[in-house]
Amino acid sequence: MKQAILMPVLSDTMQTGRLTRWNKSVGDPVHKGEAIAEVETDKAILDVEAFTDGFLAGPLAPVDEDIPVRQPIAYLVDNREAALAADDGTATAEKASEAAPAKTAANQAPADTTPRATPVSASQATVPTGKEDASVPVSSPPVGTQIPTSPPSPPAKREMSTTFPTSGNLPRSAAGASPYARALAQDLGLTIEEIQPGADGHIHASEVLAAALAPRPVDLRYGPPYQISKPSALREAVARNMIAAAATPSFRISTRVDLSPLHEQGKRLRFSFTLALTRACALTVAEDPWFNGVWTPTGWVSRSRVDVGIAVDTGAGLITPVLRDAASRPLAELAEYWRILLGKVKTGRLAPEDYQGASFYVSNLGIFAEVEEFDAIVPVGASAILAVAAPASDGRTQLTLTCDHRGIFGADAARFLQRLSQRLKDPTWLQ
Amino acid sequence: MSEILYWQALNQALDAELAADDAVFTLGEDVGLYGGTYRVSEGLMAKYGEWRVRDTPISENSFTGLGVGAAMLGLRPVVEIMTINFALFAMDSLVNMAAKIPFMSGGQFPMPLTIRMPGGVARQLGAQHSQRLESMFMNVPGLRIAVPSTPQDAYWQLRQAIRSDDPVIVLEHELLYFSKGEVDTHASAPPLHQALIRRPGRDLTCISYSRMVPLALEAAQALHAEGVEMEVIDLRSLSPIDWATCVESVLRTHRCLIVEEDCRFAGVGAELAAELQERCFYQLDAPIQRVAGLDLPTPFNAKLEAASIPRQEDILKAARALLNLPQGES
Repeated sequence: MKQAILMPVLSDTMQTGRLTRWNKSVGDPVHKGEAIAEVETDKAILDVEAFTDGFLAGPLAPVDEDIPVRQPIAYLVDNREAALAADDGTATAEKASEAAPAKTAANQAPADTTPRATPVSASQATVPTGKEDASVPVSSPPVGTQIPTSPPSPPAKREMSTTFPTSGNLPRSAAGASPYARALAQDLGLTIEEIQPGADGHIHASEVLAAALAPRPVDLRYGPPYQISKPSALREAVARNMIAAAATPSFRISTRVDLSPLHEQGKRLRFSFTLALTRACALTVAEDPWFNGVWTPTGWVSRSRVDVGIAVDTGAGLITPVLRDAASRPLAELAEYWRILLGKVKTGRLAPEDYQGASFYVSNLGIFAEVEEFDAIVPVGASAILAVAAPASDGRTQLTLTCDHRGIFGADAARFLQRLSQRLKDPTWLQ
Repeated sequence: MSEILYWQALNQALDAELAADDAVFTLGEDVGLYGGTYRVSEGLMAKYGEWRVRDTPISENSFTGLGVGAAMLGLRPVVEIMTINFALFAMDSLVNMAAKIPFMSGGQFPMPLTIRMPGGVARQLGAQHSQRLESMFMNVPGLRIAVPSTPQDAYWQLRQAIRSDDPVIVLEHELLYFSKGEVDTHASAPPLHQALIRRPGRDLTCISYSRMVPLALEAAQALHAEGVEMEVIDLRSLSPIDWATCVESVLRTHRCLIVEEDCRFAGVGAELAAELQERCFYQLDAPIQRVAGLDLPTPFNAKLEAASIPRQEDILKAARALLNLPQGES
């Protein structure tokens, strides 16, 4: 009996495997569970184990070539003679190796890919047309597979298979790419081998376009040893948001302001500096509708309330609780609201409505005395973000405003900083 | 503009040409007194007389040969062969005479000959009366083949064929004679051999002709409900073929499905697929597919007969497979 050893499916994502070496040769006895070959998958190098006792028979699949999963890589037979006979003569081996993948391809191909694939052809009985590959019973060898252990086939049949080599007998690459897909891949600078095939096992233009639009995987092959772990949901969310934010066309504008008057006024009234600064920003945003809106593909969104998000370092990542209506609500109420938000941050109970959807953001790294200047990224949906550094030696603090240029222009931003600086220098409005 | 039947459009075209040019005459079995097996010459004998609307014996090679001789001497004969199956008797006149004489005489003899005949699978006429055979005539250099699929094209293309100095086969379809459509006798016709896009689409190109065109259009409508936009090209001519229209479409959609009623093996679709892959190879996103008649003599049994030629479901399945879409619930 002759049984095929198939390229194993070793992971969910594995489409092909690459044999790195054969541990056995044709004719060698093998025992169940013995490692016959090594295969490299998309993740690791693993052994291919014999599923039963027997003798290894060819044709052996080549090493260092991508072989689709579930395709025969070798055969197991009952005795050494059969093993050696099966590999006897290159023509036979070639024929068998051609026919084997063709058979597999035919079995895997959805029955519907070639409509009317099996016509009740009057001539079919005598002339193979290539259309019958889908109709070859799974158990019978396809035309062209003539193993010497089987009784000699009728001469007419053998003649046919050589006289009329038809598509049904030719190997069908499971990783074939359409000419258009190849051309597209070349234009887009993609390597066709790195593109995942579609549902039918072939690469079409749609797969190439999907690959072109997908984020390019980082090539880690030549770097230091590494391990991969799944980041926390928070970190993943930040990463996603930052990628989205990178599409915002933005510019930066800076000034230096002495913040000590605001500090002192806040202390006197027992309001935190964060709250005082947030209020100053909210009031300034409220004066310019372009700062309280966002450009969207469907139109310009103008908001009727100023919500300010404040970047908070949780130790485990970045989160931005939002103070709703920061321009109009009484400061005492805002202070209480802020206290509740910070409590939620500490317990990790911040809900999306607590940290999403601000018009304007503030990021304050002022507690790090070494930070003389920095800038921040405008989150998607906001108009601008203010980065507040630590006071420099002259007592003044660098403020950098990053703006979404789709809604805000340079002069708008300059006027914004002008008004904001005025408020910060003279915080008499803070009552 | 009015809605008329396909045979009526042919009748009007014949009438118009008989009226316009005294050199035009028609001949064939039962074209005179009986008015034509499919009524195409109805009323014409009474109008133009038995010299110009001539009944012939059952002798296809002879009366087709008569047409060849008349064309050589400057007349414009319209030979009706009752069905394409009987054209097999007239092969010598068609292939050895009509197609060759203009070439072999160095152009001294023109061949303004029109051969009208229906082909195709009708309703249980048996294997000998259900043949398509168009690929056989396509393989004869010198012959031109028009395949009108609508009454409007039947009108235009028959008139154009009669006015052509080349031998033109107007290949009609037995199941199209009673199809209805608008015919504008005053509208200017597209060139005799130009293909037309019957329905625009972005996802794949379906190339078809004759009775398979309405079938392809129905399939395109069904695919539209699935979100697939299939462009349908009506070839209108099988020799020559308007490659420009086909190529332009395939370069846009990158996928091509050919629907033909004729047998698949060495058929019209084989020629289309071969030529289009030569011209469009680097722009193809999938192998060109054919939906064709089965390679067998047409069965008499009605169900088997229907299953032996493309049905709408076959086109839908092929289109979905070509687009790598899952096959629907049907």
